[in-house]
Amino acid sequence: MASTEFSWNKPNTQSVLLEIKGDKLKLSDDVLISNIRWFITFRWILVATLVFFEILMLSTSDALMQLGISEQQKWPIAIIIVLIVANIAYIFALDHCKPGKYNSPSTNLWIQIIVDLICLSVVVHYIGSTSTPISFFYVLHIALACIFFSTRESLYVTILVCFMDSIVIMIDNFLITQAPLSTLINNQFLSESARKDGALIWMFFLDILFFVVWYVVSRLSLIVRAHEHHLLDAYRKINQAQVEKDQYALLITHQLKSPLDAIRSKINLIKEGYLGETTLEISTALEQIDHRAKNMSSLILDLLRLERLKDTCLDTAVFEYVEIQSALQKCIEKLTPVASSKNVALNLSIENFICKVIPDQLEILIENIITNAITYSHENTSVEISSKVDRNNFRANITITDHGIGIEEKDLPNIFNEYFYSPRAALHNKASSGIGLSIVKIAAENNQLKIKVTSEPGVGTTFTVAFSTIEFPAATGSAIPIPLINTSLS
Amino acid sequence: MPPRIAHVDDDSDIRESVQRILLKNGYEVDSYLSMQEFIDSLQDETKKPDLAILDVMVESMDAGLTTYAKIHKQYPQIQTIFLTSLGDMIRPYFEDGSHEWVCIMEKPVEPISLMATINERLKKAGEAA
Repeated sequence: MASTEFSWNKPNTQSVLLEIKGDKLKLSDDVLISNIRWFITFRWILVATLVFFEILMLSTSDALMQLGISEQQKWPIAIIIVLIVANIAYIFALDHCKPGKYNSPSTNLWIQIIVDLICLSVVVHYIGSTSTPISFFYVLHIALACIFFSTRESLYVTILVCFMDSIVIMIDNFLITQAPLSTLINNQFLSESARKDGALIWMFFLDILFFVVWYVVSRLSLIVRAHEHHLLDAYRKINQAQVEKDQYALLITHQLKSPLDAIRSKINLIKEGYLGETTLEISTALEQIDHRAKNMSSLILDLLRLERLKDTCLDTAVFEYVEIQSALQKCIEKLTPVASSKNVALNLSIENFICKVIPDQLEILIENIITNAITYSHENTSVEISSKVDRNNFRANITITDHGIGIEEKDLPNIFNEYFYSPRAALHNKASSGIGLSIVKIAAENNQLKIKVTSEPGVGTTFTVAFSTIEFPAATGSAIPIPLINTSLS
Repeated sequence: MPPRIAHVDDDSDIRESVQRILLKNGYEVDSYLSMQEFIDSLQDETKKPDLAILDVMVESMDAGLTTYAKIHKQYPQIQTIFLTSLGDMIRPYFEDGSHEWVCIMEKPVEPISLMATINERLKKAGEAA
């Protein structure tokens, strides 16, 4: 017995699509909010680090005393408290307050930047504005402002940074005579006037650096934004083109199928006796004409279906939670007449589960596999359709087994190829379009499902559709007893 | 008085088939070639149908759908059946995929199922009234 597994991995484009659907303003708001959350997390990490160092300082205060630091510093505790309170306030504003004029993501971000700048200034003041490189942390704020704000707003942030840094340097070097912490550590003793000159030069160069960083990063960010805009535009155009293509395919399908429908409508009139009595020979001939016309109609519709499945950008391609029991029963109901006409019984045994799929496509997938099973079954046999749930691993399988002509080992890898033609299959079913399983393949690909096919020529074929993540319905026992649906003609 | 049914289709063969089936089953039928003709006919109170059978792609891609939107707003009591070559494939063109209240039948015209659907829709309308 030959067996092959098929799995088609497709990059998930869903998120991109969702972004395109929103207008530009909404998109940027979404980006801002996700970044606000990132900042908040980042700040929690910072708070944790500060707390860790504070504890370290407390536990090693004796050692620090020996180094010459006698005074216990209070400012780190104040900074930690401010950051925690502010962080909670940001989260509260984001999740529990109505967004409004004064509570937009942009305002939230502005407040974060200002509070952070004040905290950083305090830190810079205590650690040493001119004697340590701590002032360079201001650059981080400028870069972030350039990325998330407009050029003008980021310039305001840069000016604010320069202003704060200058104030801190002024206070440290011109207003307070007491030496800062770092000078105590470094034990550097410079003359008063030299220190003041150095501070002025330091301040001047830092401000220049801030403006240069602002200019470079804001230019870069402008370029990135322009590219992003072009990309979005291109996606929109692709979407539009796909919609137009679908309409064109619909139009062509309609034009191809309409004449057949008119012919078949007339045939139906004759068959039902609306145009008078007919002889048996005429009825038989009409039946044959109708059969061929019907196959051609379904081929035309299948072509449209295939085209549609390839364009997952259509609005209908939305993932939803689907109960497998109702989906399977819907398909069975639809296919029972087809099975009856071939004296094939459809035996169903379902263990219910919920999967996240594109509902229409799942139906098309199941329907096509079952149709295939019926088509290639021998007369007076049965098709077994069952679903099994693996409760421990949150997985499930649907298996569809027929007792028909089977698939030869050499053909097995090709059965999902578009327009694959197998003489053996064609001999059994003259109406084969060769695209039924390609439709299954694309539907499986779009829904991230795996398919395993096991077959033995002359004995039958089993298709197994594997669902890798499932959920369970709210109130359910184990296997739900489903009465066997027997559609054999008696 | 027998129920009155309006049928819009640009295909004369389909028009003739539907007309023949409905007349034989005792309905009054008004066949229209275009949606505009049908909408104009609604001005005449005596011609107002109990049920409308609409093709979807007449003149333009979605003439049937826009006509439906129009008459459903103005005359909510008129039942509607869409009779189209594309069957369920036109579903994506209905907003919100309104599966419950839109009845779509795929061509070709099959007398038995067509009559069953028409009777069911008319019965539903009778119950609602």
